[in-house]
Amino acid sequence: MTQSLSVNFLTANLAKKLITLKLKNMAKKMTIALYTGSFDKLTATGVIINGAVADDLDVEIYVLLMGANAFKKENIGKTDHMAELADKKEEFIASLKQLKVSTWMEFFKQAKEMGNVKIYICGLAGKIWNGLVLEDFNELADDICGIGEYIASAQTADVNLFI
Amino acid sequence: MNTEELKKLKLDKVVDARGTACPGPLMATKKAIGEMKPGEIIEVLSSDPGTKRDIPKWAVKKGFEYLGDILEDGYFRLYIKK
Repeated sequence: MTQSLSVNFLTANLAKKLITLKLKNMAKKMTIALYTGSFDKLTATGVIINGAVADDLDVEIYVLLMGANAFKKENIGKTDHMAELADKKEEFIASLKQLKVSTWMEFFKQAKEMGNVKIYICGLAGKIWNGLVLEDFNELADDICGIGEYIASAQTADVNLFI
Repeated sequence: MNTEELKKLKLDKVVDARGTACPGPLMATKKAIGEMKPGEIIEVLSSDPGTKRDIPKWAVKKGFEYLGDILEDGYFRLYIKK
C-alpha cells in the first residue's frame, strides 16, 4: 500500500516535471494577418517582427489581399502606396533615409535571418494580383496557403495582430 | 551599479549601435549576446532614446543581468552580464 502510494506520488511528480519542461521549451508565437500593401504599414510590421524575434517569439505572417500585391516580384522596392498621411510621403521617406531606417524588405529579411519567421501568401490574394505560384512572389514568401491555416494558427498564438 | 563601478568593468564585448534607429540597437545586442558565454559582460553604445527602457527590460526577461547605464553626450552606454 505504502509502496504503491509512493510510486503514484513519483509518477505524478514526474508528469508534472515533464509538463513544466514542455511548457518551458515551447516557443511563444505571434501571428499576423497582414492585409496592408502600403509601405508605411509594412515598415511598422518590419519593426514589430524584429522586436518579436529579439524576444524569441516564432512569427507567422499570413499575407492577405492588398499585402499580396506588395509581395509580388515586380513590386520589390516600390514605395508608391502609403496608407496614412499620404500627403506627407516625401517628408516620411526623407526622414527614414536620414535616420537610416531599413526598408520593409530589409526588416523582414533581418527578422528571417535572426529568428523563426514564416511568411504565407493567401491563395486568393495571390490570384487577384495574378500570382499563381510561389515564384511570382519575392524571396521572403515561404508558401501559398488558405485562410484555414491562419485561423488554426491564430488560435494557438500568444499574440495576434491584424495590420 | 553606479557610474564609477560601471566604468571599471572588464568588458568582453562592445557593440557600437550608434546611428542605427529602433530596433537596430536591440537586434545588434541580441546578435552579440548570442555569441557570448554566460558571465561575460557586454557594453552597448546607442544613440536611440528608446533603448534606455527597451534593452534593460529585454535583458531581464531573457534572464541576463542588467548592470546599468551611463549617459554620454548624445548617446548611452548600457551594460549587460550574460
